[in-house]
Amino acid sequence: MTDTTQPLLKVRDLTVTFGKGHHAVSAVAGISFDIFEGETLGLVGESGCGKSTTGKALMKIVEPSSGTIELEGVDITNQKGRSLRNIRTRMQMIFQDPISSLNPRRRVKDIVAEPLDCWKTVEGDERDVLISDLLNKVGIDPAVYGNRYARQFSGGQCQRISIARSLAMRPKMLICDEMVSALDVSVQAQILNLLEDLKNEYGLTLLFIAHDLAVVKNVSDRVAVMYLGKICEIGPSDVLYEAPAHPYTKFLLGAALEADPDSPVHGDVLEGEPPSPMNPPSGCRFRTRCPFAQERCANEEPVLRDVAPGHQVACHFPLTIQSSTVA
Amino acid sequence: MSEFIQETEMAQEALLEASMVERPEKNQPLGPMFWICVGWLALNIIGAIFANVLPVQNPLNQDYNFINSGPSLHHIFGTDDLGRDIFARIVYGSRVSIAVGAGSMLIGFGIGAPLGMLAAYRRGRFDTFVTTVMYVFLAFPAIIAVIAVLSFWTPRSMFKIIVVIGFASVPLVYRVIRTATLAIATKDYVIAAKVQGATDRRILMKELLPNIAPIGISFLLIGVATVVTLEGALAFLGLSVNPPTPSWGNMINESRTILAENPWLVLFPSLALCLFLLCLNFIGDRVRSHFDVTEVKL
Amino acid sequence: MNPDKLLVVKDLATTFNTSAGPLPAVGGVSFDLNKNETLGIVGESGSGKTVLARTIMGLQPRTNVAVTGSVLLNGHEMVGVSEAEKRKYWGTEVAMVFQDPMTSLNPVMRIGKQIDETLRVRLGMSKDAAKARAIELLELVGIPSPTQRYGAFPGQLSGGMRQRVVIATALACSPKLLMADEPTTGLDVTIQAQILNLLEDLKEQFHMSVVLITHDLGVVATRTSRIVVMYAGRVVEIGTTREVFTNHRMPYTRALLESSPKVSNPSHTRLVTIPGRPPNLLKLSLGCSFAPRCAYATNQCHQQRPELQSAEEPGHSFACWNPLPSKREAATR
Repeated sequence: MTDTTQPLLKVRDLTVTFGKGHHAVSAVAGISFDIFEGETLGLVGESGCGKSTTGKALMKIVEPSSGTIELEGVDITNQKGRSLRNIRTRMQMIFQDPISSLNPRRRVKDIVAEPLDCWKTVEGDERDVLISDLLNKVGIDPAVYGNRYARQFSGGQCQRISIARSLAMRPKMLICDEMVSALDVSVQAQILNLLEDLKNEYGLTLLFIAHDLAVVKNVSDRVAVMYLGKICEIGPSDVLYEAPAHPYTKFLLGAALEADPDSPVHGDVLEGEPPSPMNPPSGCRFRTRCPFAQERCANEEPVLRDVAPGHQVACHFPLTIQSSTVA
Repeated sequence: MSEFIQETEMAQEALLEASMVERPEKNQPLGPMFWICVGWLALNIIGAIFANVLPVQNPLNQDYNFINSGPSLHHIFGTDDLGRDIFARIVYGSRVSIAVGAGSMLIGFGIGAPLGMLAAYRRGRFDTFVTTVMYVFLAFPAIIAVIAVLSFWTPRSMFKIIVVIGFASVPLVYRVIRTATLAIATKDYVIAAKVQGATDRRILMKELLPNIAPIGISFLLIGVATVVTLEGALAFLGLSVNPPTPSWGNMINESRTILAENPWLVLFPSLALCLFLLCLNFIGDRVRSHFDVTEVKL
Repeated sequence: MNPDKLLVVKDLATTFNTSAGPLPAVGGVSFDLNKNETLGIVGESGSGKTVLARTIMGLQPRTNVAVTGSVLLNGHEMVGVSEAEKRKYWGTEVAMVFQDPMTSLNPVMRIGKQIDETLRVRLGMSKDAAKARAIELLELVGIPSPTQRYGAFPGQLSGGMRQRVVIATALACSPKLLMADEPTTGLDVTIQAQILNLLEDLKEQFHMSVVLITHDLGVVATRTSRIVVMYAGRVVEIGTTREVFTNHRMPYTRALLESSPKVSNPSHTRLVTIPGRPPNLLKLSLGCSFAPRCAYATNQCHQQRPELQSAEEPGHSFACWNPLPSKREAATR
């Protein structure tokens, strides 16, 4: 019986630092957020913001340097070895490159069955039925394609197989790390719809990491925006996109090109390049490119605080929010 | 940018794009040449194993009627300066080459490959330590080490030669296998396996090994070729098996002084050696090409 | 030949001779490009847009490839001519910007040298003059501190900066036509905006035409004046950007437009998908390549390939036996 008021995933002050001393790079510099059961949190940002590293740290593919990660109330931050393996089934990941996520020399059936075989939960006929069922659910006909090798499939199909594999052990949570970025538009649409259907059917909770703003909005209930290792803003998707509170979010949305010839080409282009994560600016990390930056921004690092129920922003001078129907 | 690379890349891209539904599942055909080489190698190996029961003369038997004679009905490849049948000596001599080749590669791979795979997969202190040790050994010319050890570790025997060359090849095998594993150990599907809760042993056996096997096998075959050549070189220095045991290298070495009178003594062993090596190299390359699943074949 | 047309492509077809049979990557494409125009070529994987771009440039492989048709670049024929002939125009009349700047720049050569190499070889400039011009070009493409950056290696620059260097190299000899193959794919969205703005500015400054090849509909919607939509190696629709977006006639164009998620739509909007997968180019049918996936396909669609036919607005054509109704007709009715 899960306590619905407690988040499924609780992250507090997570940092991931690579390297030592002068060459240390803090890819993730202290972020905190919650994900509640059944929701999809989108994590968006540009390259170098730390969103992929966050995903990997949650999956313990990369070791967190400090902070805590709690899954279903259990602190998994420092788990290793056998105890970590036992937790693995609760949270799974889908990767960006569909082709390299599957062992080219293995058959599709074996790849999907791998988690089952690792844990020896089911055997024999029951196992075969389970695999066929999973493959059917993701739109791959097991009778025709089950025995083919993974290298014989297209990107979209590989991603479907990856999804089937990740669902084999019925995880509670799925982390999608840029899972549709390498796919064509029409294939992307199919996979996104599939993900939505499976999420409802399996009662999944998703962390959807991507850089494409339209895709993230389509999939997510809430969205968190990251910049240079920190979360700038987090809130319900519709609200955040309609009326962003953080200047970076506004620029990000402004730069997103809509497939509409009449959409205004936004004149305000964010100039310059993101600063190096090895030497981040003092105070607010965005201040070097922010047109609204003031002295306070250099001296004091902003923390996430509420600007509306469920909507938080880390900025000393958030953009004025128009009153709108709040979720 | 080399235009040739651009050509094949572009056409490969087009082929990949075109066959998005199903990749053409056609491994590079092995070809008739491949089987001819396999046949030749098999012949050599069978000859070496069953030399005793085959209709081949005694390689140590000295026939004083036919000293330094050319090919004839009695001796198809002729005889050497002690009247010994060259053909027989070649057949028996292949034992040395094959034994040394296979034996030392077995040691080299038996030790180097698992270490390499483990180091590349585990990384960390184990990897750093072992790799440093191996690279130190690699810096030292293997041939000189082999020569030095064999010069002092007397009396020489085939076993000793195999052991010395075998251990000398461990660092190189380690490096090749480790590099190959590194390329694969970082792929998403290995991470995916870990994330599903697979044990390290399972990952090594099911994910890494099948992908390294083609490179491993092809390097093994080429390694055998290299070692066989090395044995020939050692024989030249008088460091191979003691006479009168025949070996291809020994025979070529012996022929040095009587080249003018008896060209057959250098010709046939050299031919045997050359063909053996050619076949090994060809098979090694074909195997690699056949099993390379990442290449789209045009 | 019409002097206003910078590029005239007529029935261009590129077929690869593969071990699995002939692969018609591009099958009979015709379009033209005016001076000072930005044309977008849109399509998904397998549409043939990249092969088309390279064939127009003359960069297709020399063996196992058959190219038929004609490409007139400023009056010069590019198909069926020797490489020496084509080389005359590479850099000076037409230049290409590729997708991945890390592979189109030599990683072990300093960027300044890569630019002034072109200048010295093609324009015969002296070492000093070339260096000065290279620094000028770096400044033009928006690289800060160009004199210092002249000696940098590509690996020391960010993705956006590298792409700017690639553009600078392409513009070194002031070509009349710039072919940009997915120039911003893989770059951050804010950097993408910068690069696209830069291309527009440079187009004005150099009086160039630009061909923008991409799968990103957002890029073509706002930055091109005309679009070519490709599917399975052929042109299925061509017209002004506005016309193609608002009054498209070919069902694939609509399916493509509708299947991309939009920022303006609320979250959890169900996306319209195209059933099935792109066709296997090795086994193309005689009919329309899109017919197996088209909701409006008729018998004729499966049996006979449609040719491009004109729509009402001049310059707008589409290839479909059963096109979507024109919004213009509906409006005037």
